[in-house]
Amino acid sequence: MLQLVADGLIVGSVVSLGAVGLTLTYSLLRFANFGHGELLTWGAYLTLAFLGLLLAGAEMAPIGPFSFGWPLLAALMLALPATAAIALAVDWALFRRLARHGNAITLVIASFGAALALRNLVQFIWGTLPEYYTREIQIAIRLVPRDVLGGLRITPDQLLVLALTAAVVVLLHLFLSYSTLGRAMRATAMNPALARLAGADVAKVARATWVIGAALACIAGVFAGLTGQIRPMMGFDLLLPLFAAAILGGIGNVWGAVIGGLIVGLAESFTVPLLGAEYRAAGSFAVLIAILLIRPTGLFGARA
Amino acid sequence: MSALAAREVVAGYEPGLPIVKGASLSVAGGEIVALLGPNGAGKSTLAKAMAGLVPVASGAVLLQGSDITAVPAHLRLKRGLGFVPQTENVFANLTVRENLELAASLAGLDRRAAREEMFGFFPDLARLARLEAGRLSGGQRQMLAVARALLAKPAALMLDEPSAGLSPRYVAEVFAMLARVRQAGVAILLVEQNVKAALELADRAVVLVDGTVRLDEPARPLLGDPRLPALFLGAREHA
Repeated sequence: MLQLVADGLIVGSVVSLGAVGLTLTYSLLRFANFGHGELLTWGAYLTLAFLGLLLAGAEMAPIGPFSFGWPLLAALMLALPATAAIALAVDWALFRRLARHGNAITLVIASFGAALALRNLVQFIWGTLPEYYTREIQIAIRLVPRDVLGGLRITPDQLLVLALTAAVVVLLHLFLSYSTLGRAMRATAMNPALARLAGADVAKVARATWVIGAALACIAGVFAGLTGQIRPMMGFDLLLPLFAAAILGGIGNVWGAVIGGLIVGLAESFTVPLLGAEYRAAGSFAVLIAILLIRPTGLFGARA
Repeated sequence: MSALAAREVVAGYEPGLPIVKGASLSVAGGEIVALLGPNGAGKSTLAKAMAGLVPVASGAVLLQGSDITAVPAHLRLKRGLGFVPQTENVFANLTVRENLELAASLAGLDRRAAREEMFGFFPDLARLARLEAGRLSGGQRQMLAVARALLAKPAALMLDEPSAGLSPRYVAEVFAMLARVRQAGVAILLVEQNVKAALELADRAVVLVDGTVRLDEPARPLLGDPRLPALFLGAREHA
């Protein structure tokens, strides 16, 4: 029982960070970006590429109980702006041009195309075989004995992922609540025309949204790679859970996306012993449907 | 020199389909000009064009003598032109305080000082500071929207039908507030459907019919002037 909760929260952490980026871009740019999952993949692979450059063939010395060392964190710092640059480039080359003439459906279909192109580019550059940041074997720590609710074992990396996700979400909340740019993002999401009248440069706010959404996707991709494998399909596989989380929480609501991500993670985790691992996605969608039937706007979505 | 002026403005939402067809008007500092006219005359479109939200095909918008026609909408408040739209004129998902502080920050002001100044001008808003703007009454929303537009101490303020949807009590409150803003020397362009209330408050009235200015005279004498209903009804019959 406890183990299922922990496993669900770890998966949910990755989904939450991805869903926050998705919900932010949706609320500001008013379309569902099906290419968002690929930003997770690119974030994970760019971090891998920078790690390779930084290590230059040397072994990575782990930090304390973790499986990775400082070079991975340095690589992540380099991958964050690189992933944001990809998001901005796709926006510049595709979405911004189409938004002038097309409608939301055009943008959604274009995002499918962008996703395919980005995924195939990953396969072309890095191949299709799974990659890892580190080959270190981690021994899970027993936090709760087996006779208490089935016990709980967790690796230091997994604990770190949970802690860092919480820290990132709190930082994002502070940013959106107290910074001028964060407030301008919330204001633009609510009413772009009024935001312009209040003095916000809406184009600049949109660029900032891409950067923040891509940075969160990059972190989520690295967390997914750290607690599992780095694969070209990792972002695509996470896409439906990301949408489920964003919709479940109420599209456009940051805290909703976080809670939605954790619920999706928990639903997937509890589905495994009940129905089998092949039905884990079905579990999260059953929860999504049940919640939407009761509350069509999602858990924290504003009523029309 | 007028604080705010439109010179032969032609504007509309679609290229080649002007709604405002060469309108000119001016507002001096400390003056309220009521922009009146029948439905569909182009009053709101003219105000939006002057605010930078609707493209101006030809003509010019002048603010304290400077041509601001090409200035992007998001820079006009900083330049001294505030605009309060008719609907959705506050950020409903932000608190009253956040609404004010955001506008102050974007204008490059000390947000705490600017907010406190507005709370001094509108004491009711101070009481509601932590409330989400979406939960305010219609009159309170108008007050917040005007306060947000006044934060940057604009030379001119435009309001698009601030009395729309308000009860008579709130209309009186909003118009009393505008009289206080006028005393501060701000030029006010008031787009209104409530002709009687607007003429009682305004110094001058401009009547727009089918995108062109048909009357530009002192406001009070127009109360009971037979030309006014003729212009409104004429437009209706013409339509």
